[in-house]
Amino acid sequence: MTTEVFTTRIVEELKNIIGVHKPEFCYQCAKCTSGCTANKVFSEYRPHEFVALANMGYVEEILKSGVIWACTECWKCGQYCPQEVAPVEVIIALKNLSIIKGYAPPKALVEMTKNVIEKGLIQDINQVMTKDFEFIDRDSLGLPPLEEPPQMDKHRNILSKFFGVVMK
Amino acid sequence: MRYLLYLGCVIPTKQYAYEVSLREVFPKFGVQLEEFNERCCGFPLKSINKKAWLYMGARVLARASELGLPILAPCNGCHVSLWETKHQMEEDPYLKSEILSYLKSEGLYKFDDVDIKHPVEVLHDIIGLEKIKEKVVRPLQGLKIASHPGCHLMRPTDIPRPEDNANPDKIDRILRALGAESYDYPDKGGCCGATMLPFSPDNAIKVGAQKILTMINAGFNAATTSCPYCMEMLDNKQDAAKTITGNMEVSLPVFYLTQLVGLAIGIEPSKLLINLNMSPVDEILAEVGVV
Amino acid sequence: MEEVRIGIYICHCGKNIAGVINPKRIVEHLSRLPNVVVAKEYLYMCSSPGQSLIEEDIKEYNLNRIIVAACSPRMHEPTFQSALIRAGLNPYLLEMVNIREHATWVHERDPAETEQKVIGLIRAAVHRAINLYPLEVERLPVVKSVLVVGGGIAGIRASLDLAKAGYKVYLVEKNQSIGGKMAQLDKTFPTLDCSQCILTPMMVDVSNNPNIILQTYSVVEEINGRPGEFEVKVRQKARYVDWDACTGCGTCVEKCPARVPSEFDEGLGTRKAIYFDFPQAIPRRPVIDPDHCLYLIKGVCRVCEKFCPTGAIKFEDEDQFLTLKVGAIVVATGYQLYDMRKMYEYGYGKYRNVITGMQLERLSSANGPTSGRITTIEIERGKIKPGKEPETVAIILCAGSRDENHIKYCCRIGCMAGLKHAYYIAHALPNSKIIICYTDIRAFGKGFEEFYQRIRSLPNVFMVRGRPMEIFENKDGSLILDVFDSNTNRRLTINADLVVLETALVPPQGFEEFRKILKISCDPGGFGLELHPKLKPVETTVDGIYLAGFIQGPKDIPDTVAHAGAAAAAASAFLAKGYIESIPYLAHVDEDICSGCGVCVSVCPYDAITIEVTDGRRLAKVNSVKCKGCGACAAACPSGAMQQHYFTDKQILSEVSALAEGVVA
Ligand SMILES: Cc1cc2nc3c(=O)[nH]c(=O)nc-3n(C[C@H](O)[C@H](O)[C@H](O)COP(=O)(O)OP(=O)(O)OC[C@H]3O[C@@H](n4cnc5c(N)ncnc54)[C@H](O)[C@@H]3O)c2cc1C
Ligand code: SF4
Ligand code: SF4
Repeated sequence: MTTEVFTTRIVEELKNIIGVHKPEFCYQCAKCTSGCTANKVFSEYRPHEFVALANMGYVEEILKSGVIWACTECWKCGQYCPQEVAPVEVIIALKNLSIIKGYAPPKALVEMTKNVIEKGLIQDINQVMTKDFEFIDRDSLGLPPLEEPPQMDKHRNILSKFFGVVMK
Repeated sequence: MRYLLYLGCVIPTKQYAYEVSLREVFPKFGVQLEEFNERCCGFPLKSINKKAWLYMGARVLARASELGLPILAPCNGCHVSLWETKHQMEEDPYLKSEILSYLKSEGLYKFDDVDIKHPVEVLHDIIGLEKIKEKVVRPLQGLKIASHPGCHLMRPTDIPRPEDNANPDKIDRILRALGAESYDYPDKGGCCGATMLPFSPDNAIKVGAQKILTMINAGFNAATTSCPYCMEMLDNKQDAAKTITGNMEVSLPVFYLTQLVGLAIGIEPSKLLINLNMSPVDEILAEVGVV
Repeated sequence: MEEVRIGIYICHCGKNIAGVINPKRIVEHLSRLPNVVVAKEYLYMCSSPGQSLIEEDIKEYNLNRIIVAACSPRMHEPTFQSALIRAGLNPYLLEMVNIREHATWVHERDPAETEQKVIGLIRAAVHRAINLYPLEVERLPVVKSVLVVGGGIAGIRASLDLAKAGYKVYLVEKNQSIGGKMAQLDKTFPTLDCSQCILTPMMVDVSNNPNIILQTYSVVEEINGRPGEFEVKVRQKARYVDWDACTGCGTCVEKCPARVPSEFDEGLGTRKAIYFDFPQAIPRRPVIDPDHCLYLIKGVCRVCEKFCPTGAIKFEDEDQFLTLKVGAIVVATGYQLYDMRKMYEYGYGKYRNVITGMQLERLSSANGPTSGRITTIEIERGKIKPGKEPETVAIILCAGSRDENHIKYCCRIGCMAGLKHAYYIAHALPNSKIIICYTDIRAFGKGFEEFYQRIRSLPNVFMVRGRPMEIFENKDGSLILDVFDSNTNRRLTINADLVVLETALVPPQGFEEFRKILKISCDPGGFGLELHPKLKPVETTVDGIYLAGFIQGPKDIPDTVAHAGAAAAAASAFLAKGYIESIPYLAHVDEDICSGCGVCVSVCPYDAITIEVTDGRRLAKVNSVKCKGCGACAAACPSGAMQQHYFTDKQILSEVSALAEGVVA
């Protein structure tokens, strides 16, 4: 039989990313989950539970499941939580931590990150089809071109440093 | 009224109807839009790295600060993100000095003196309902339009937001000034689901579909938003929503607010790129006789 | 001058002090200080052996100054002063050093530094003690009557107890009738006895008691004087009815054509412009609401006057002022509901079928707007009317309570009230379904856990552990809400005909201003602050002023009544003693130095100083009855003529320079 080892409460690393919000205040009213957008379509996505797990130090368990990426960042939980927990910020911090720990984010996000480093934008200029099956883009619409802003090299350098882990 | 038009990522690469209608409509009210080529505000990558997000936002603000003009951020995501960047760094001086050190290497020094506006604010608070009413030549009579403000136009409330989370009614008032009908409905402040797209497109689309259904159930025959992400979910993906939910009822004409203002003040639909709206907009406009 | 002989006593306060520093080591240091004859330490100085130690030493060593280094003087100064008295020493030759709050509690992590601080503080006290001198107190008379403010169950109980003890009681209530919130309740948890049935007999007792002068429809405007002899100015609001002539027949109320939303029915019913708060009101004398009386606002009507058989209507009535002289004051002003509109996510005030627990009490009460039928709410042409019997009702606990954005504390009522409300509905409408959305059920009172068990066993009551985030209204006025039940790990979407919010409870309107008139403190929630959270729950920072009931903090009826009884007992004891001792550390003027500049007059918050001319010289004079010993004048006096006993310049400066010496060394 293994007995539970209560070693950590909230992980210091996570706390640092969370900043001003206070997960340790949570009293499990589940108000956050009651109105959570993501929980509507993912029953296993339960912000109050993530906060409880984080508070008991069971962070790896959440990171492994990967379901945190379902959050729509609608900020309803942060708005209505009675204890200033802002579960959404805890979850964003968990996502940050999962990157640090080497868990892979959704592919599309990796793609966006790559684009941001290369071009500064999350996606390329799209050709879009109208209802009349015509393809249009900035050029065809006569919109001003997206010129490179100044100092993009330095910008790119800084960004590559920040996002190094994701790109690996 | 001069603003730096900060388009962010999605508007200038895909949501052309928003950019075009904005460029058409705002000058008619004496609002001058200056070109401002800047890059991503960082918001989509906040969950990858919060510091990177703050740095990216601060860079946008710092560039605007150099130019000495307020920003017009038509994307709800950019708007909330830039305000939050300002706010978080006010709260945490250590973080601020760290971010400033990155900016310095790019020759930028200051970012906290920039005002950031959203088109809804400019229309409602600055141009004002009276001026809008004066210009209306084609009242949107017969349209019962649901306002979908989008989460970040209202939340978080600890930073300045254009709409009041307790009672988001600025868009409604603008719609009424245009001659349309608009009223409250359940979960008006609800989410379009866009941020879930990278993780699970199908479920994200289900969220959007639910929002459309609440608007239909509340008796609306159209909806409006002023966020490119919300438009993507509520309009562009409406057909996908039908397929995924198997519910053919998920069908509601959706417009950008700037498109509706344009229509009402007499701008031709083609100039507002109405043909980029994938929802049945032409049908409803014809039905109520707006075009 | 007599030789100064000091005894120093260091208290361990269990581990509170000795857990951080070593009293024995400190004692060794102290014997080297000037005039110190003996220094000792003991586990609990405040205990009987501790106090005896001081008494014996005073006699044995012929001590004439005592220093106790222990806790706060607010806690135990009177304790040690009485030890001095018993040993025949003047109590003002005591000096207390607070080495607990000021040292060991706050610097727990650094014992060595803390010891140095303690030694420094005691050294300073020694220098101050050398300069202390005996002070005499005066005995001032006490008026044997009491003012009770607020006529809820707390004020009623306190008034009856005090009247029984033989004191004259003035019971001032701002409403037309006494009864307070308890009168609005249908039944009371945990026993479910009928609220009116247990309350109204007590209300009648109040009106029949010759010792109680009932002064309703009145508020306290001003309080002057001192403990034992307060002078209270009361405003009796214009009633527009001559209560002496009136017989309470109620014809006027019946005939009055003007309808107004009833406060007693929480806006769900109406009353007339001339009204009793409720049919069982005490006193049974109506008042006219000047904001809604057709004659008073428009100049036409006078129907009541026409029908009154005794000619009691008095349209020319005005506010009247009375002055009461009382020895003590009991504050029993209760509470009010938090404004739930501020918690907009639940739509109170916007959705007609979202109601408060108190509104449900009115719906369920036989004397309520629906005569006790529980219904949904309809609105017809702007008027509220009863709808259908609800099939599904959601009851939300902690609505606004325990919430950093609203009211931080627990209301201590909502859990039990919510269970009671579930019972009302389950009992009246056996086919209905009641969903209680709770976070924690707090069933701490006597009989509460049993009550909880009883309610959760009801077949149509569903306990859901979760709190809805938002409530939305359907077109038919019913409500839709999602709640995540963490017991079953399911998100439930509920279509409710009625939603009942067990609201946060807050201090009554106007209490902040009233508190300032009383000059008592408040806690972070705005309730009246008791003198000690455990040991002095009814006393306040002002002698002779006591708190009773909810105004001290959330309480159910049993706790309110117990607390009110305690307040009455404390007030009785205060009055029975027959005198109070004056504060000895008042301001006094050295007439040789005073130049009559008048700075002291301008800084005194109690108007206790006047400038008088004697023999052609302007001199400040202190009125010892008005002076509260705050020291403002002594600090402001430019020449040092104004001094405060026990805090003279010499005493304070010697203490300060001893402290400074420690720092330099
Ligand atoms: C919905 C609900 C249900 C409840 N059910 C129960 C129950 O079943 N069992 C139970 O034990 N408890 C219950 N309670 C709690 C109960 O109401 C209180 O414990 C009790 O009323 C407190 O009595 P009180 O006299 O201290 O205050 P109150 O009843 O509030 O009386 C205070 C009085 O002071 C008056 N007043 C206020 N300010 C002034 C002023 N400045 N000057 C003069 N007069 C003033 C007021 O008009 C009022 O008459 C319930 C509470 C609520 C909200
Ligand atoms: S709403 Fe706040 S307090 Fe309640 S469970 Fe969620 S995080 Fe915890
Ligand atoms: S921000 Fe995320 S966790 Fe919070 S309610 Fe929205 S989807 Fe749920």
